[in-house]
Amino acid sequence: MEPFFIKAENISKYYQMGEVSVKALEDASFELLEGEFAVILGPSGSGKSTLLNIIGGMDVPTSGRAFLRDEEITGFSEKKLTEYRRNKVGFVFQFYNIMANLTARENIELAVEICKNPLDIDKIMESVGLLERKDHFPSQLSGGEQQRVAIARAIAKNPEILLCDEPTGALDYTTGVSILSLLRQVNKDFGITVAVITHNSAIAEMADKVIKMRSGRIVDIRTNEQPMDPERIEW
Amino acid sequence: MKKLDKRLWGLIKSTKGQFFAIAVVVAVGLMIFVSMGSAEINLQSALNDYYKLTNFSDLYVQVVKIPEKEIPVIGAKYNFSAAEGRVVSEVPMITDDENERVTVRVTSLSEEDKINSLYYIEGSPIKDKHHDVVMIQQFAEARGIRTRDEIRLQINGRQYKMTVKGIAASAEYIYLIESAQNMLPNESKFGVVYVSEEFAQKSFGFSGSANEITIKLNENQDSEIIEELIEDDFEDFGLKRIITKENQLSNRMISEELTQLKNMSSSIPILFLSIAGIVLIMMVSRMVKKDRISIGVLKALGYSSSQIIIHYVKYALSAGAVGVLLGTLFGTAVAGAMTKMYIDFFNLPLLRINVYPQYIIWSVAFAGIFCGISGVWGAKGILKIMPAESMRPEAPKTGKRILLERFRFFWHRLSFSWKLIIKNSFRNKKRMTFVLFGVALTCSLMVATISLVSSTLGLFDKHFTEFQKMDYNINFSTPLNEEVVKEIPHIIKTEHIEPKIEFPFELSNGLRKEVVNVIGIKKDTGFYSFTGLNGESIEVSGKGILLSENLANFLKIEKGGTIKIHSFIPERDDVYLTVENIIKQGLGMNAYMELTAMGDNLMENQLISGVYVDSRDPDLMKKLIKADHISTIQSSQDMLNVFQEFMGLTIMSIGFIVVMSGILGFSIVYNATVISIGEREMEFSSMRVLGFSKNQIFGIILRENMVITLFGILMGIPMGRYLGTAMGNMFSNEIYTLGITADIKSYILACGFTLLFIILSQLATYRKINKLNFLQALKNRVS
Repeated sequence: MEPFFIKAENISKYYQMGEVSVKALEDASFELLEGEFAVILGPSGSGKSTLLNIIGGMDVPTSGRAFLRDEEITGFSEKKLTEYRRNKVGFVFQFYNIMANLTARENIELAVEICKNPLDIDKIMESVGLLERKDHFPSQLSGGEQQRVAIARAIAKNPEILLCDEPTGALDYTTGVSILSLLRQVNKDFGITVAVITHNSAIAEMADKVIKMRSGRIVDIRTNEQPMDPERIEW
Repeated sequence: MKKLDKRLWGLIKSTKGQFFAIAVVVAVGLMIFVSMGSAEINLQSALNDYYKLTNFSDLYVQVVKIPEKEIPVIGAKYNFSAAEGRVVSEVPMITDDENERVTVRVTSLSEEDKINSLYYIEGSPIKDKHHDVVMIQQFAEARGIRTRDEIRLQINGRQYKMTVKGIAASAEYIYLIESAQNMLPNESKFGVVYVSEEFAQKSFGFSGSANEITIKLNENQDSEIIEELIEDDFEDFGLKRIITKENQLSNRMISEELTQLKNMSSSIPILFLSIAGIVLIMMVSRMVKKDRISIGVLKALGYSSSQIIIHYVKYALSAGAVGVLLGTLFGTAVAGAMTKMYIDFFNLPLLRINVYPQYIIWSVAFAGIFCGISGVWGAKGILKIMPAESMRPEAPKTGKRILLERFRFFWHRLSFSWKLIIKNSFRNKKRMTFVLFGVALTCSLMVATISLVSSTLGLFDKHFTEFQKMDYNINFSTPLNEEVVKEIPHIIKTEHIEPKIEFPFELSNGLRKEVVNVIGIKKDTGFYSFTGLNGESIEVSGKGILLSENLANFLKIEKGGTIKIHSFIPERDDVYLTVENIIKQGLGMNAYMELTAMGDNLMENQLISGVYVDSRDPDLMKKLIKADHISTIQSSQDMLNVFQEFMGLTIMSIGFIVVMSGILGFSIVYNATVISIGEREMEFSSMRVLGFSKNQIFGIILRENMVITLFGILMGIPMGRYLGTAMGNMFSNEIYTLGITADIKSYILACGFTLLFIILSQLATYRKINKLNFLQALKNRVS
């Protein structure tokens, strides 16, 4: 049996909203293998973002444990979590979250500056198809291009895992597909494990592994023997 | 409570740090307004009442000698309200410590007692005309003298035992100083005793005569016009000088204080309220931007723009209200403390601590106007928000290259983090400019205050250690032959002794004239070091006259010009002399000549009015008091000691201004930083996700602000110098010339304090970074 790369073990997360305790995540367990492309699928409020945040070291569970190889992420101190996010995780968000006053290249430099083994920025920019637009500011780029900058920024850090929270949520169909293709390409070319969160079930077809969630629980985990080419996905 | 008001309360709670910082700036401004304004009214009304009660003199005419019968004649000629003659002379008071130098100004009390009446504190007026004295209150208190105590006065070589019959305050000596050069009171070493006219005339040899006339004018008479008119009338009696009420030493000092209080109470609060207003505009407009969706929802629910604007204006007014509450409370308390300080500083028996409700009303009005306008200004963006549009994400902000990027050689040599810091600093130019000027203002206030005070401290020290270096300045009661210089070393041990002539003359250039003491000194004097306006060393040569800078400025005369010197000695013609040079003199206003040349031109040959002495003789006082013809002995060390005692009070006032300026700087930088953090929540959250630690993010903000602070300080230094010079000019008068000197220590101190307050404000913002919920921020569509 292949050793796991990411492992979630009975993770629960409760939020206290005034006098009411909200169960965001309950007893979630799964494993991801190294180099896998996973899609965490579920409707709004199903707990998928919470799960991603815990794996990404941005949040801590109420109970349960998460591992990256043999290191327990959930046992990390604040300092160790910062280092973990800095060197091992790349994040891509729905709303890009790039700095308006920095050019595309400078946005990537911002991330690269603090990590241990960054990749060559120009090569990354070339691979995401933005080399020609590297000196443009976000306001001069389309939504798809901005998301490419966000992806380039995440992978330039040379992370071990790329976590994407609804990366196509703010994009039109064509741009969405091109972003998914890019993520697949990154997964293959750089060998980075990718986890994509989405409520769009069509996207699940391109994944090696699909984790389905509902009401804070994992309801299904399945492996795609033959993942679909992102270009063929339709929604 | 309306729901919007409930939301307002939440708004205040969520921005409590900034809210309080603004309220404190408003409070400080109003505190200064209330405290200084109230203290000024307290002081001014007490002064007016006191002058009225004691019938304070409008003119003082000092003459060599005038028969008493001549006074009513001149009085009738000009229809004065009253005119009285008196004998005034300074003599040593003998104490148990034989080496102590105590000078008292013996002043005769007219029997008519119409002008400058005394305000009795203890005891009664003189009964025994030959033995009773009334003593000035400050001197009696400083020396622990009570009624019925005996004192000994040395008058014209003879000792008189007198009894203190009464202790009184005088409107003439609210601020008790010996001469303009002293500037600070030394109440245990200089006092005033009032004696009967009979005793004064007899003991000083002024039978039926006086040497000073006090005049009370009629309401329609102008003192300056009368001053011109009466000159000729008193010419024959050896007119020395005419002093108007405005120039009377004590009145002058208290008036200067009143003017300063008035200026500060009107200008500083406006500065603080303006700063609070600008910060409020920044804050409210940021709130409006942040609450864009909520405002859209409110509009969709049917709230009008004005209702929503009022909601945000209420926030600004609430900050103003807290400021008014704190400002008027502390202001009233400080007004009491300040008035109390003035009670100690000025002997004004009618001075009372009063609270003036009109200041509270004015405070409410000022804060209401400043905060209200700022609130409306900051909230005006509400008008542009359309409900539907507000729900959609805002277009990304336009990024632009900054000017520095064009200097490629420089830009490419910067590390990425410095590029980021510089770009971020220029992101919001308006705010950057505001912070820059805020820091510059803070620094300049500190530079101006600290360097001005340090220059003043230096001024005293320089005057008594560099400009004039004698240990003692001894004045004779009557001019003596120069040969006396050889006799004095037989009485006291001297290291060095030089003769001097010091006599008042009227110096004029065209229509501008001023009565000053012209001092005659030896050509090779070891007691004075004169420097010219360019710092060059200057000596008296005997070819002309040297003028102090303030005197030359007043007379509007330059080096090489000719000046008219009018003598008060009867039957002496006016003399015209060339201004040989203009010299720097921090304290006092004088002219200097070579001793022999002065004797030849202005006085009698070989006559001197006193000597300068360097002496370590421990019994100097004891020996000189017994000597004939000695009028006063001034010790430079005594003057310096008094000054050093005064330092404590000075340090306190510096501390006050440093703290006030610091609060200003703190508030500006704190609020601007918190607003910036709020705007950049998404950016910092992204950075946290990218692996930046909280300290790294704080470091970026700190460095951004430090770059601005550095430039602010660089701007603040020349601004402070300019401000200090302006303040120095404003406070300078003929008594002292204040100027900023290049004192590195003051600048370092001022910059250090500025930096300290800015760093403190930065540390206060660390909490905001620490509390930043980056998960929540990343979900926001609006950055």
